[in-house]
Order: sequence, then structure tokens, then C-alpha cells
Amino acid sequence: MDEFIQQFATGLSTGSLYAIIALALVLIYRSTGVVNFAQGDMAMFMTFVAWSIWNGDGHFWIAFFATLVIAFAFGALLEMITLRPVETGPVLNPIIVTIGLVLVMESLALRIWQGQPKPFPSPAIFKGAPLSIGPADVSRTNVGVFCMSLLIMVLIYLFFNYTRVGLAMRATAQNRVAGSLVGIRVGRMLAMGWALSAMVGAVAGMLLAPTLFLSPSMMAGALLFAFAAAVLGGLDSPVGAIVGGLTMGVVQNMAGTYIGSDIDITIAFLVIIAILLIRPRGIFGRKAVQRV
Amino acid sequence: MVRFILRPRTFVLLAALAILIAFPYLYRLPFFSNFLSDFRTFQATRFAIWLVILMGLNLLTGYSGQISLGHAAFVAVGAYIAAILMSNSGVPVFAAIFAAAILTGLIGFLMGIPALRLSGPYLAIATLALIIVLPQVLKFGGDIRGHHVAFLDLASHTGGVSGIRLSTPRVPASMHNSLDMNVDQWLYYNCMLAAVIMTGIAWSVTRSRLGRALIALRDSEIGAQQMGVNVSLYKMTAFGLSSLYAGAGGALYLYQMSYLGPTSFDILFSLTLVVMIVLGGLASIAGAIFAALIMTLRLDLTDLIAGHIPFGDRIGIESSRGAVFGILLIVSIIFTPRGIAGNLQKRKEARPGGPRKSRIAALVAKIGLVSREKEAEESSD
Repeated sequence: MDEFIQQFATGLSTGSLYAIIALALVLIYRSTGVVNFAQGDMAMFMTFVAWSIWNGDGHFWIAFFATLVIAFAFGALLEMITLRPVETGPVLNPIIVTIGLVLVMESLALRIWQGQPKPFPSPAIFKGAPLSIGPADVSRTNVGVFCMSLLIMVLIYLFFNYTRVGLAMRATAQNRVAGSLVGIRVGRMLAMGWALSAMVGAVAGMLLAPTLFLSPSMMAGALLFAFAAAVLGGLDSPVGAIVGGLTMGVVQNMAGTYIGSDIDITIAFLVIIAILLIRPRGIFGRKAVQRV
Repeated sequence: MVRFILRPRTFVLLAALAILIAFPYLYRLPFFSNFLSDFRTFQATRFAIWLVILMGLNLLTGYSGQISLGHAAFVAVGAYIAAILMSNSGVPVFAAIFAAAILTGLIGFLMGIPALRLSGPYLAIATLALIIVLPQVLKFGGDIRGHHVAFLDLASHTGGVSGIRLSTPRVPASMHNSLDMNVDQWLYYNCMLAAVIMTGIAWSVTRSRLGRALIALRDSEIGAQQMGVNVSLYKMTAFGLSSLYAGAGGALYLYQMSYLGPTSFDILFSLTLVVMIVLGGLASIAGAIFAALIMTLRLDLTDLIAGHIPFGDRIGIESSRGAVFGILLIVSIIFTPRGIAGNLQKRKEARPGGPRKSRIAALVAKIGLVSREKEAEESSD
């Protein structure tokens, strides 16, 4: 039983990693309707920026907040330069653009910061002995990531439900024409969506870099699981992103422990697809009703 | 009949066919030897293989509107079926390729059942899962908690991590003696023949009842249903048909490479397929041909452009090819949002000598003589 609880806790830790990236994906999907393949690489790129600001011995939190500001501008710029022009085109085009961004950012990161993994600082409160929660040991970083993902979820929830800008962003995502007719600046909302999700991505990257090691391909694996997590929870639901991420982590870890570590990913995806077949819009997703 | 033969399109097709037949031998002529070689023949073979795969994906995504990000998984399945048939049971090459295509098509048809419930990004990620789990499945030895489950032991068939290596294809003696044909040329003719036949099939499919049904359900699923289109059956058929193409392409790929491993087809390859059909032009046979061309020449293209960037060597263009390709991708999507084929089509329609109806409709709209409803009526008939 203790082993089970420990494995469950480990699964939750891995899952919170997926959850936090999934949150960024949900944020961008909810505000612009785009499935962003570049999310992981945007996070990686911003983490490298943070690393450059930190520069070996700087103050962690200064680098952290400076990076958030840069990420906001970076996300907005990406949207305005690369995605705005394909806005009105066929549905697949934004996805293709994000794949293009993946290539550009990975290549540039490799060019600027080279391939070997770099050490990344973690804030002082994450250091120290693992916490004992019941019979399970969990590292402080994992608890931190978990809490941070919950915090971001709550912030996103409040933002989308109780602020004017958040509501305007949701309106834009649902119906652009109607949005602009009631006076919402559609372009600005879309840029805002990208900016905010770049920020969440940057937070994810900076929290994960100490455990994943900072390198241009840092996010490649995690992003795919985050995608699965976001879809599992429902692409438009922040709560779903958390639940999906944690489920993904736990299932993967359980399958690895009790069935075989050489087949864990396959089992995890089988479970996800099984759940999707029962709830085709994710656990918390709402069915889109379309007028004919 | 005579009018059919005398149509300009017939001449274009015949000329294209003549070039395709002569291509692998052209480099032996003085002028062509400057830019053609056995390597170009190899590339042309690769083009034929990509064409088969992309043609199938275009049937699925372009015509029936279902997104598959994991199409490479079907390519891999086809390649593995062919490899297992050729290596273990000594099935003749052509039978193995044919069987691989049919079996992969069948698997795809059945995979279409779960796909019926999903759409849009949900379908995209679910299909992406196929290619994510593929290496693990191919390497799986069937050991579950220490117990060996024989029917799950896929590694014993697929060769696990080391993959399957076949003997290199041999040119039949008659061909070798009479035409002085080498392996590259032999492979070229085989793959190109398959590509031409499968392009022909795709062309007729898109102009048949099936093709029209697929387009109808892409444009409006509910509308198609109302018109009596069996949505489930046609969606599954689209999956099956495109998997058949993928399987055939995979088998041909294996035939050319004589080697297959669990990472022969990865996620990047799978995403590249989708990128290419969008760049080439969705829902168009010509689009698939453009897509295959770009896919074959993408490295050469990137090199060519990287070489022309001013001060390229000073900013280290050598080590940023990925960035050059990525930017190229984004720029071409921005400037040709409907792909090459789609934009050519649009220009043709906008040309002064283009279809008269649209010109009249445009003129009428310009002057504003008829109301919008009337205009819609006119352009629909």
C-alpha cells in the first residue's frame, strides 16, 4: 500500500508538470482557438532568456519577473507578426505557422545557447529535503510546481470569468465578428491571449528547468503529454487542464510500475483515448453547438 | 474521341509521361549530365513515394476534412507489414507491397470507427497519439510484470530496436542486360509506376460519388447527412483509403531503403506530412504533387535560400537551417494561404480569359444590379 501511495504521489508530481504546460495551451486555445505547437518551445526560449538574465549568480526573482515581462511582449509580437496574417485563412494554417515557429525557435536556441544542458537555479524555498506527506516523500520542487499550477488555474478562472478583458477575450474566441461589432478590439485580444499564454509558459519553463535541465529540446516530450492532458480535460477548461495533467501523470506512473515501464506511454494514451471516446470534448469540455 | 485526343490536356499528360519515362536515363546525355545524376534519380524515387503518401493524406484531410497528425503511423504499419512478409515468408516483393497496402487500408478503416466520435483538435491529438506510442509498441517484448504474453510480443516480428534489414533489391537480369539498368533506375520505375497509378485512382475517386460525398461532409456534416450521405461509412472509408495510400507508400519506402527501424518514421515526419499538403494545396491532385515536390526538395530549397541570404556566413546561417526552413514555412503560408495549387487556381479564375461566369458575376456585383441573394443563386448554378 505504501508503494502505491508513493507511486501515486510521484505520478501527481509528474502530472503537475504536464498540467502547468496544459494550462498555457488551454489559455491560448480559449482566447484564440489555436492549438499551439510552439507552446513548449516558447517556454524553452523564455527560460533561456531568464538564464541569460540570471547569468550564473544573479538574483532568481529578478530574472523571474524580468522574464515574465519579456514573455508578455514576446507572445504578443509573435501573434502580431506571424499569426495575424493567417487569421482569416483556412483552419489548418495557424497550426502550420506554430510548427514553423517550433523549427525557428529550436534552431535559434541551439545557435545562441548551444545544445549542452545548462544548470538552472531554483528559488530558495524549493531547496532542501523532500517533504513527507503521509507515507510518501515528495520533493519541494514538485510541491511548488503543483501549488503554482493551482494558483495559475485560479488566476485564469478569475480572469476569464470576472474581468472585462477576460470576458472580451472569450467573446472574441467564440465569434470574432460579433465581438468586433460590440466594440471589442479583436486584434488586441488575440495578441493578449498569446502574451498571457507565453507568460504562463515562461513560468512553467522556469519552474521545470531545474529538474528537466535547460536545453533546446527540454520541452519536446513534456509538450506532447501536456497536449494529451489538455485534450483529456477539455481544451477550453483550466480545471480540465489540471485534472487532465494529473490523470496523465498518475496513469503513466501506475502503468510503468504495475504493467511495465517499456509500455507505460502506450497504456497512458490508450486510457486517454478511451476516456475521449466516452467524452469526445474532454472531461470538462463543453459540447460546441453549431448553427447550420 | 478525336476531340478527346486533341485536347491540350492530353498532350500535356503525354509529355509529362514521356519525361517521367526518360528521366532516369537523361543524365547520360551531355546537357542533362550537368544537373542530373543517380542521386537525382534516387530523389525522384523518393518523390514518387512521398506523392503516394501525401495523395492519401490529402484525400483524408483535404477532401473529407478530417485532420490526422499521426499519419506516419500508418506509413510505418505498411512498411512493417511489407518488411515482415518479405523477410520471413519470402513473399514476392510486389505481392508484399500490395498486401501491405490492403492490410493497412483495412486497419485504417477500423481506426476510423473511434475517429467518428472525435473532431477538430481532439481528433488531431488522438491521431498524434498513434505516432507518439508507435516506437514503444514496436519495441514491446510482451513482458507484463514478468509474464511473457506471446501474442503481445511484437518485437519478435518487428526486430525491436534493431529493426528489419532486407537484402538490397536486385535488378532483373533481363532489364540489366537489355537496358543497362541499375538499382536506382529499377526502383525509380517501380515507385513511379505505383505513384502514377495511385494518382490516377485518386483523380477518379475525387470525381466520383465517393469524392463528392466526402467534400459534402467536409463542408457541412449535417447538410451531407440531410442529403442522404452515410456520414459514418464515408468517414471510415476516407480513413481506410488514405491509410491504404500510406501503407503503399510505407512499403515502397521500405523497398527503396531495405531497412526499417522503430524510429524510421517519427513525430516530426508525421507533422511534416501535414505541413506539406497544406503548402501544396488541400483538396487538389495538383496540390499533392506540389506537396511531394516540396517535401523532396525541402533540404535543397533551404540550402539554396540560405546561400543567398546576405552576410549569411557571418551570422552563422550554416547552423540555423532549421530557422531558415521555419521562416520559409511561415512566409509561404502567409502569402499562399490556400497552398500553391489553390493560389494558382485563384489566379486562373481572376485572369481576363478565365471563366466568364465569375467575371460577369464580379461585374454585376460591382455595379450592384442584383441583390446578394440573386448573386448567390447565379454563382451556384
